[in-house]
Amino acid sequence: MKFRIYRYDPESGATPGMRDYDIDFDPKGRKVLDALIAIKDTQDESLAFRRSCREGVCGSDGVNVNGTNVLACITALEGLKEPIEIRPLPRLAVIRDLIVDMDQFYQHYRAVKPYLINLDPEPERERLQSPADRAELDGLWECIQCGCCTTSCPSFWWNPDRFLGPAALMQAYRFIADSRDQATDERLDHLEDPYRLFRCHGIMNCVEVCPKGLNPTRAIGKIKSLLVKRAS
Amino acid sequence: MRRVGGAHRGLDMWLMQRASALYMALFLVVFAGLLLAAGGLDYQSWRGLFRPLAMKVASLLFAAALLAHAWIGLREIFIDYLRVMAIRLPLLFLFGVLYLGCLVWAADILWSVP
Repeated sequence: MKFRIYRYDPESGATPGMRDYDIDFDPKGRKVLDALIAIKDTQDESLAFRRSCREGVCGSDGVNVNGTNVLACITALEGLKEPIEIRPLPRLAVIRDLIVDMDQFYQHYRAVKPYLINLDPEPERERLQSPADRAELDGLWECIQCGCCTTSCPSFWWNPDRFLGPAALMQAYRFIADSRDQATDERLDHLEDPYRLFRCHGIMNCVEVCPKGLNPTRAIGKIKSLLVKRAS
Repeated sequence: MRRVGGAHRGLDMWLMQRASALYMALFLVVFAGLLLAAGGLDYQSWRGLFRPLAMKVASLLFAAALLAHAWIGLREIFIDYLRVMAIRLPLLFLFGVLYLGCLVWAADILWSVP
């Protein structure tokens, strides 16, 4: 199989670029990550990429394959056009090869305070929720912070430092929607800003690429509806 | 609640964009209906269409909605692509004046129909 992989080694001083690999590999039932590991094992041990759980749970191997952000570990090789082009996630600084600097991404995640804010004394066992309230969180909590959505969003490309991006915004809504959370107003105050939230124009790139099949655009729309309700 | 200057502009602009789009959609449907009802599209029937005051007002509001929609869209584009304030703000002002001028012009055209 033919691959073209983005290579960058800051220590060598060489210009970053695409390098071709041709490996003898049966794609049947195998994933992009399997091929990356095979290339590293058999051809070029200097190839660097992140991976951990190899089953779409940890979210560490987000890469851009043939122009689409995917998790390498759950993307089938079969059906991909050759040479298969593998690049790091767009718009983030490359540390080396397919490894990107996720600092900006995590900063936005931190900024939305992704934890329960509840000042009531802690109950004996746990803060209870009705099944209906709990169901509100489905489709939100499953996010694994792989960064595929945010780095596919042009609004993030143009304003990476100020637009929170779909992943962080969906986590913001995950806690706004939580019946146990008491900081809804503060959370909405933080988001009511031309940049943090309103750079989203609803083009839904995030929905298209999410490897977990989540819908950040819908969550962002719900935040906007709540802002309208609060203002009127 | 926070009331710092400009902090709420995001929501206002976004709502205005939605509201103007809604009005334009409604107007265009009604307008298309009126056109079909008027039969042929000769000079006389076209003028007749714009004779009632209600039509003039509705058309002027359509122009206002269109221009507001366009200005907010431009603002979004400028925010994304024009990073230098000294360029972005004068351009927003310029287009604001230009579009307001268009609105006055539209009023003049509409009310020129007796």
